[in-house]
Amino acid sequence: MSGSAVLVVDDEPGMRDTLVAILEQNGYQVSSAPDGESAFSAVQEMEFDVVVMDIRMPGRDGVSVLQDMGEPPPQVILMTAYAQEARLQAAASANAFAVLHKPFETRRMLGLVADASRAGK
Amino acid sequence: MPKSAASGQAARPRAGRPLRAVSAVTFLVLVGVVVVSSLITSEVIRNQERLILRERTGEAAAVLGSAFTGSQASLRLLGTLARSGQGRGALFTEAARSITTAKGQAFLVTAQRGTRTTVIAAAGGAPAVGTLLPADEGQLARRALSATGMVTGLIRQGSARWLAFGVGQTAGPGTVVWEEVKLSAGTTVQPGASSPWGNLAIAIYASARPSPATLLIATTKELPLTGLRYPFRVGADTWLIVAESPHPIVGMLAEAMPWIILAIGLLIAVLVTAVIETLGRRRDYAAAQVEERTSSLRTAMAELEQAQAQLIRQEKLAAVGQLASTVGHELRNPLGVVMNVLYLMEAGAGNDPDGPMRRHIATAKREISAATLIVSDLLDYSAGRQPILAPVRVSELVAEALSVAPPPKGIQVVQEGDPHLTIDADHDQIRQALLNLITNGYDAMSGGGGTLTVSVIPASESVQITVTDTGDGMDAETRDAIFTPFFTKKARGIGLGLAVTKRIVEAHHGTITVRSAPSAGSSFTITVPAAAALASVRA
Repeated sequence: MSGSAVLVVDDEPGMRDTLVAILEQNGYQVSSAPDGESAFSAVQEMEFDVVVMDIRMPGRDGVSVLQDMGEPPPQVILMTAYAQEARLQAAASANAFAVLHKPFETRRMLGLVADASRAGK
Repeated sequence: MPKSAASGQAARPRAGRPLRAVSAVTFLVLVGVVVVSSLITSEVIRNQERLILRERTGEAAAVLGSAFTGSQASLRLLGTLARSGQGRGALFTEAARSITTAKGQAFLVTAQRGTRTTVIAAAGGAPAVGTLLPADEGQLARRALSATGMVTGLIRQGSARWLAFGVGQTAGPGTVVWEEVKLSAGTTVQPGASSPWGNLAIAIYASARPSPATLLIATTKELPLTGLRYPFRVGADTWLIVAESPHPIVGMLAEAMPWIILAIGLLIAVLVTAVIETLGRRRDYAAAQVEERTSSLRTAMAELEQAQAQLIRQEKLAAVGQLASTVGHELRNPLGVVMNVLYLMEAGAGNDPDGPMRRHIATAKREISAATLIVSDLLDYSAGRQPILAPVRVSELVAEALSVAPPPKGIQVVQEGDPHLTIDADHDQIRQALLNLITNGYDAMSGGGGTLTVSVIPASESVQITVTDTGDGMDAETRDAIFTPFFTKKARGIGLGLAVTKRIVEAHHGTITVRSAPSAGSSFTITVPAAAALASVRA
């Protein structure tokens, strides 16, 4: 798990930066993207074990990016502050590894990333 | 509009209800009119009856009277013949014989000398010339001599009765000319059916009074008669006819007319009363119906107004909810960032777990958790979402909740039961429900500390999670209100925690119950379906 490649996608710089810092502190290889489009490009270019991605972003949203990811897909943990019913259902059916409702316990997020990383291996 | 105390049911016509006043008065008036009409008719018919009886009786008297006037004329003629005969009785006898019409009829002339009355001429069944008349006939002869006109009398000879007519002074001074008719043995005769008086009961007396001694003839044995008394003149005397009608002369129909009027009148009175009563009741019923409809219309209007007010309230609430939802969502990101920052700070705060920086960070985390719970409750209440179910281990949820809301000083947390039980649940929603129950338990013991027990035990196809505190407890009134939104007894809090907890548990097809008494603590139990046995447990 340590050394696993993790992509953090969030349009909120505060959330993105703190997540990157926490994951790096816990030994992950962390990249970040500020929106869905660049996240999609990043996934095409590089191979990630885990993607931690906000659902609601300008442009493409997290669920849409998840749906379009190629084979083999990374394990995706979606985050949301706006628990919209339809998008949550879509996330569930697109095989998101988990959905985290903001604000979440940092330890829980770390636990899920670790589990996802193990599941992807 | 006048208030009506009577409900529609009470106004409905029912059997056994007394007549309305209008109907009763109408009935009594009609009955009165009918009875009076009947009495008047009865009186008129009785008068008519009396009038006809008098007329008939008068006719009978007139017939009798005229017959006897003829007798008087005959006797005068006989007297003249007797006088002109100068004692030769042959002329008298021949004349008398010529006017004799029946057996038992006798003609004679008497002369009065002193108190003795002697027959001086005789014809028919009369006593022989020279015979001295008995005293009663003598008395009659004396009366004939002093009377003007014919006298009449009944004379008895043994069992035979004679009716005698006498005219005085016509055959010379002191003489009386007699006609005597022998009466049949009985006084009762049966008049023929064709007789004009055949339908009357008649008694004829040869006197002004109805004395049995002077009864000449009667058509009935039922004497004395009580009907009409009709006196009439026969010569110098007054006779009497008493007449009665055993059957109505006016006819059976006329006789029955008062009763017919009474019967038909009463029938009409009953019918008219029934019609009036029916119409009245129908009108009352209609009025009651109108009143009932009006009343229900009023109720409907009131309900409509209430519903409108409720709608306006709900619209206001929805607007507030919309605002709360927007603010809540916007707060979630910064709260999450602060949570992350606190984690990073904790990592750089040194290794001493009791160091001042770590304590400050713990305080900040607790307050952030409280804020997070409030935001979650508010969002869940304003737009509660359906749970997304996945198998989750209960012990994990409890541990997370206790990590987010660690016990304040003086409160001890005890965990009991099976830590491996798994439920089908929305992780975040059930954690929120547990957080609400746990923080409520802390608040109930905030005065002097205590013990919070979280027990997880299996039930049939479900799992019971019970959170028990040793705090102040609740009275029945509070206990009944705790699940009502915005109900709170805390100094802090918006009163949504238990309402949202109940909503979440019910959305999971579970139940929540509470046991509590003042100063005996409270115990909340949520029961949710256990995970299917083969479901994989995702950590």
